[in-house]
Amino acid sequence: MSAILFYLATIVVYGAVDAMACLALNVEFGFAGLSNFGFIIFQSVGAYVAAVLSMGPWQKSNGGFQQYVLGWHLPWPLPWVGAAIAGGLLALPFVFLVGKRLRGDFAAVGLLVAAVLLNQLVNNFVPLFNGAAGVSIVPAPFQGIWNPQGLGYQFAYGGVAVVLCVAAYYLLRRVTESPYGRSLRAMRDNDVVADSLGKNIRLQRTSMMVLGGAIAGLSGAILVGFINLWAPGAWGYAETIVLFAAIIVGGAGNHKGAILGAILVPLGFEEVTRFIPPLSNPSLVPALEWVAIGLLIILFLWFRPDGILPERRRILSGAAPGPTRAQPPVPVPLDGSSPGGDPDALINLGNLDTMDFRELLHLAPAPADAPAVIMRTDGLTRAFNGVTVVEDVSIDIQRGRLTGLIGPNGAGKSTTLAMLAGTLAPTGGRIVYEGSDITAVPSNRRATAGIVRTFQLASEFKKLTVLENLVSAIPGQSGDSLTGALRGRRHWGAEDRANIERAEEMLHGFGLSQYADTYAGGLSGGQRRLVEIMRALLAQPRLLLLDEPMAGVHPNLAHKIGDQLTRLVEAGMTIVMVEHELSIMDAFCDPVIVLAEGRVLAEGTMAELRAKEEVVEAYLVG
Amino acid sequence: MSVELSTQGQVLSASQVSAGYDGRAIVHGIDVEATPGRVVSIVGPNGSGKSTLLKSLVGVVPVLGGSVSVGGTDITNVPPERIATMGVGYVPQVDDVFPPLTVKENLEIGGYLLPRHQVHERIGAVLEFFPRLKKMMTRKAGKLSGGERKMLAMGRVLMLSPSVLVLDEPTANLAPLVATQLLEEYIRGFADAGSTVLLVEQRAKAALRISDWTLVLGGGRVVLSGRPDDLADNPVFVESFLGGGAHR
Amino acid sequence: MSVFLSSLGFGIISAAVLAIATVGFTMQFAVTNVLNLAYGSVMINSAFVTYFLNIHGHLNAWVALIGGVATGSVASYLLNRFVYTPFQRRNLAPITIVIVALGVDLCGTFGLQAIVGGSYFTYRQSQGREWHFLGMYFSTLQLTIIAIALGVMIAVAWLLRYTRLGKAMRATSANPNLARNSGVRTQSVISTTWLISGALAGLAGTVFAMNTGVFEATSAQLYIVLLLAAMFLGGPGEPYGAMLGAATIGIATELSAAFINPQYKMVIAFVILLGMLTFRPYGLFGSERTA
Repeated sequence: MSAILFYLATIVVYGAVDAMACLALNVEFGFAGLSNFGFIIFQSVGAYVAAVLSMGPWQKSNGGFQQYVLGWHLPWPLPWVGAAIAGGLLALPFVFLVGKRLRGDFAAVGLLVAAVLLNQLVNNFVPLFNGAAGVSIVPAPFQGIWNPQGLGYQFAYGGVAVVLCVAAYYLLRRVTESPYGRSLRAMRDNDVVADSLGKNIRLQRTSMMVLGGAIAGLSGAILVGFINLWAPGAWGYAETIVLFAAIIVGGAGNHKGAILGAILVPLGFEEVTRFIPPLSNPSLVPALEWVAIGLLIILFLWFRPDGILPERRRILSGAAPGPTRAQPPVPVPLDGSSPGGDPDALINLGNLDTMDFRELLHLAPAPADAPAVIMRTDGLTRAFNGVTVVEDVSIDIQRGRLTGLIGPNGAGKSTTLAMLAGTLAPTGGRIVYEGSDITAVPSNRRATAGIVRTFQLASEFKKLTVLENLVSAIPGQSGDSLTGALRGRRHWGAEDRANIERAEEMLHGFGLSQYADTYAGGLSGGQRRLVEIMRALLAQPRLLLLDEPMAGVHPNLAHKIGDQLTRLVEAGMTIVMVEHELSIMDAFCDPVIVLAEGRVLAEGTMAELRAKEEVVEAYLVG
Repeated sequence: MSVELSTQGQVLSASQVSAGYDGRAIVHGIDVEATPGRVVSIVGPNGSGKSTLLKSLVGVVPVLGGSVSVGGTDITNVPPERIATMGVGYVPQVDDVFPPLTVKENLEIGGYLLPRHQVHERIGAVLEFFPRLKKMMTRKAGKLSGGERKMLAMGRVLMLSPSVLVLDEPTANLAPLVATQLLEEYIRGFADAGSTVLLVEQRAKAALRISDWTLVLGGGRVVLSGRPDDLADNPVFVESFLGGGAHR
Repeated sequence: MSVFLSSLGFGIISAAVLAIATVGFTMQFAVTNVLNLAYGSVMINSAFVTYFLNIHGHLNAWVALIGGVATGSVASYLLNRFVYTPFQRRNLAPITIVIVALGVDLCGTFGLQAIVGGSYFTYRQSQGREWHFLGMYFSTLQLTIIAIALGVMIAVAWLLRYTRLGKAMRATSANPNLARNSGVRTQSVISTTWLISGALAGLAGTVFAMNTGVFEATSAQLYIVLLLAAMFLGGPGEPYGAMLGAATIGIATELSAAFINPQYKMVIAFVILLGMLTFRPYGLFGSERTA
């Protein structure tokens, strides 16, 4: 009987440790989109640090049969705190790898390799953590006063582990179910776009690596305090794959899924195989266990890629009573060929006419003495692999105007816009915004300074709802930082409700209220365009850069959008728009800048340009 | 033309073609018929669906409705590598060469379907046609200038002696003189030699000069079609490019 | 000096084995854009096929080798055809394919272990007499491996440069759509590439096992790191870069073993790989491919 109870206590500790690890990996992978293939080293460093902090100096204790650093003999809970700190700090060197725009699979391979490297180093460098033999006889917490072999101790230990696991769950939930969590998921879905809306990608990734690392470190500490030894064999890189399998099975992006996965995969496999009688071939069962994990990964990714408990859709529209309540989404016909069936033609922006953009977007009219030029470029040049795409472009962007940027295919319009927004670094020239040189300022900081762009290709955050897409762009949210999120809903809740209300009002204006809680990835082309424009507007730009906002949009809708852009300019915004539909330029843009073959060809109103021989040539003759 | 590069043309015909990506049509119900000895051009502003239409004819973009045939054989949604065997040579607007391969190797890939002994001979014929390429046979295609690169792209499809040439904005990013030469000398030349030429062109007036028939696309539909002489003076034609505020 | 030369000798052998492996690995990346992290498991499975044909099938080692090469070839083809290609058709992020590859690697490696057990296997044949050049010592077996590697490099270079198939492979890698428009049946070119690169995996696995002499089912698990280091050094998807990268990594690991500490000989490869990923992810001379 007591054997069963001891076993039960063991399962509880293991389960809590695995669940903590999976929760931590899930915020990195499922929420922030970081494929940390080296995750196991974070748990491991926690285990080692907790061990050597709780053990005495090696020369004295254990007769000096093992060698290790520190040996400070600290009382509980200090070793565990140290473990969490060590796990967090270990994340910092990897910022080099994940902070830049490296292909996701390349960064993952880098982390995998780092894990193998550290394992080899610890394995071979004995003075650090006693090499391949590992540290053993690690004291259990309160060892002197309470018998660690007793059932009471074991259950108390399990209880503490479960409490810490539950605490980790609530802590991580607090982070992910906040405006900051929204930003994390936005980054996961499209980091370039999140960056253009002012999110600091490097900081967000680092924060999540540190937070995940700290929790992983703590889980390692709990484990080593219970099993009392830790060696390189326990944390081969493949252990990370087991945790990935757990998250894929349980459901990435879902905390409960991570816990379920932890129970089914690492814990489940370990425990089930305990009951298989020993066979003549001792490596058969463990080998088959690995095969099963491999198969589990492949089969789940094929048949149920979202896991048993898929990420849940966040319904925001209930949070604030919007102008219109959510209705079931209208089915979108796949082939827009029948004129009456084009959903985009039916979108009605009429509600916008009564909307006060100044109030909704917190727009302030420019002071009377503000310089007429809001942005100026000086010899802007960009080459790709030696081919110059934009050459010596010097333009002035007039404050409070809707400037059009036109030109034949390949004229360098989008490249120029990308340089203005900071998405692309120029290879030559300068950009001056509001009097200061911003050539070297990264795009997220340009966004916070009021320069916001949209993208030519679909760039919605697919697995965020339409409303989440919009709210995520609102700048200066007090819940949109790790510390803000940790302070809890009381800190940011009211403000967030107000933000949601603003977004709903915007959505209502654009006639898309019924899609508030639909995943943005499921909308029609024209609707996604509108989501993108709304999102950019809610980022409260002073200078809005639109890259072909009307591409693929029904002409009726395009003109409705144009009318609203005019109203925005009247409300004090400056807009630059790349567009190829010249009738749009005619109707709304003044001045229009013509680019051809990477250079500025002409500038003026459309009427003036149409009279210019060289423009007509560029367009019609060449 | 000193060398016979292309063979007697076949009729390329599209009937009520709708095509686009992810099941969503970008061009709607378009009829085109290109016949031997003639240049049929498709013009229209950016984003009007010209390239999508062309790609759907050569199997790169799925046809969602209607049918395409060449020489009477149905090629609707036939994979591009099969269409290439039927005498249709397609030059895309961008990514029109293999940058890491040398000029010679690009031409050899162009002649991939030919029997081995004919490849060398055909390369000779293509070089007769584009003598500038002769001096740069061992240069990587990625290092060519815009004009040279386009010649190589054209040379690549000529390797198979196509009976139908499908060209997507061949003059994009070319200097005006080179563009004119390409259109008036080479592309018109193919048609005069009996091939079928279907051309998408952004330089509309230049295209009209060498065409026998022209379609004007706007918003994925044919807004105008006719003989170039009739189109050039049509106010709708000019307006479809430079606008006129008439849409409002 | 003599330490330098003898470790250089070891380095040349390591480089020879690594070069065979890396060229196959990078070819797979070139035509399908997949980091096939299951490559090591294909290598070791092939090595075991050769071993069993040799020891239990009583075939001459070099005849048995053909069996190993065929195993690698067929296994890689099937892997691409029935795992990677279907997943890629779903337009998933590259990271998903990498996770799938890790799953395949577990199945391959530990499936083998389940069959052959966890013990070590030894080639009992002799390594042949010792040869002595310029202060370096090679056994006949090692010289044979070097010769095979040189032969393979020449054959691959010849394939890519002078044959119709090789040019079609490079064209498919550079611009698959244009290749199809030229009449290249890219699907069959890709399949052939996996057959050939898989054969290289089989060959590399076999000579790897012969060279170490003692091996087990999990012996090639960490080999993938050397492969990755060599590939990224030369630029992913660049066969000639892979040859150069393999030579550098092979020699660098053995020299560092001699002059720093044999236990850290992999470390130099790790450091090079991490450095490349951080600073030059498209190779020393490469640039990001836009295709």
